[in-house]
Amino acid sequence: MKQWMCMNCGWVYDQALGDPLGEIAPGTAWEDIPDDWQCPDCGSLKSDFEMVEI
Amino acid sequence: MTALPKLEDLTDQSFDPFQIEKLSTGDCPDPYPRLHELMAQGTVIEGSYRKEFTAVPDVQMGHLPQVMVLGYDAVLHVLTHPEIFRNKEAFAPNLGRSFGNTVTVMDAPEHTRFRKIFQKAFLPQVVSKWGETIVDPVVARLMDPFMARGEADLIEEFTHHYPFQVIYAQVELDPAQAPVFHKLAIAQILSSIGAPQGQEASGKLGTFFAELLRQKRGNPGGDLISHLATVEADGERLPDDVLISFLRQLMNAGGDTTYRGTSVLLTGLLTHPEQLKAVTEDRSLIPQAIDEALRWEGPVASTFRYCAVDTEINGQPIKAGTFVNTVIGSANRDPSKFPDPDKFDIFRKNTVRHLAFASGPHLCIGQHLARVEMTRALNALLDRLPNLRLDPDKPAPAIVGHLLRVPEHLWVKFDT
Repeated sequence: MKQWMCMNCGWVYDQALGDPLGEIAPGTAWEDIPDDWQCPDCGSLKSDFEMVEI
Repeated sequence: MTALPKLEDLTDQSFDPFQIEKLSTGDCPDPYPRLHELMAQGTVIEGSYRKEFTAVPDVQMGHLPQVMVLGYDAVLHVLTHPEIFRNKEAFAPNLGRSFGNTVTVMDAPEHTRFRKIFQKAFLPQVVSKWGETIVDPVVARLMDPFMARGEADLIEEFTHHYPFQVIYAQVELDPAQAPVFHKLAIAQILSSIGAPQGQEASGKLGTFFAELLRQKRGNPGGDLISHLATVEADGERLPDDVLISFLRQLMNAGGDTTYRGTSVLLTGLLTHPEQLKAVTEDRSLIPQAIDEALRWEGPVASTFRYCAVDTEINGQPIKAGTFVNTVIGSANRDPSKFPDPDKFDIFRKNTVRHLAFASGPHLCIGQHLARVEMTRALNALLDRLPNLRLDPDKPAPAIVGHLLRVPEHLWVKFDT
């Protein structure tokens, strides 16, 4: 399965959960997350994420 | 296969860093009542966390201006604002002396550049492969001697060794050198209390790692050290001083904290038999049991940051030049985030993330490996030690220490 992962800390974005504390509602597609959103664990930018096989 | 370099023991071979470390971390049975009192007094309180619990002086930092930052939101604020609360000045006098130019002693942009290279070697999809190839054999080897006995001290015979042995396996260390390796890994952190053996241990580990890197670059394999020795970013290899410092820290960050975390996990479950039973019967509960253990008794109760500019938290001022005791233990027991926070309860619902691995740019690089190790260890114990329970004839486990907490013993019985 491939998912978007933060390359700075390994946090994985789960579309079903979103990131409510980061104001990303559950179900939000990766493409719809704003570019200035930050990784909830380490604070890296969306551009630091890569699609990886888990 | 090339022979690994020989690791040199401390000149004073009678020096026991484990005993000295115990003295420095103290025997505080429970810092949390005091932390709740402090949290009730405010978010920013003058003084050091250490002085609340021990009279052993901090020769590196004791004379410097310090505050404690308490409570979940405030601790998270400090950890996620690295432009205000910096690492370099906070850790240069302590971890910097022990480990050298490690990523913990760096701030952006230097930190950002090196962090990504190191993290790449510890991403979930990488470390998950080590579970079967490295962690399981270590766990099995340590359990074999006590399997038939029906009783064991899981600290002395298991948790105090297995994460270190996972690292030795990564380094492909000669088992005969393991006791010296463990001793130096612990001794190197004693620089913070002024023990000269701290610098000696750092130097000897540095010499060993420099030779190891030279060998691995000449004949790289598929192991972690070979990967780190040869990895390039933007066409550059990691500088030797940064890499050697990281490897020194790996012994403590990867070994010591996982030993403590696993010990606390087992203590939490064994002292709550109904939760142990639930996990034994449903292994899908293991991830939440691990997270609850790390929240309840995180291996590191407080960390440091250096306040670089005049600022405030909750309207309470912190002056530039102040060393900030960032009390992670208070965040993880904050009643506004975790109802009934002193209770060990793996079935907690709808809570925020605990901060045992910190947060922000310095979030623990090894958290995914720690989870793999703890999961494998717990599964093996539950699989191979039927009816695992506390030994009723021995003292109950007591988690002690004000900063790095762990029980000294965990005596158990099981069916054979």
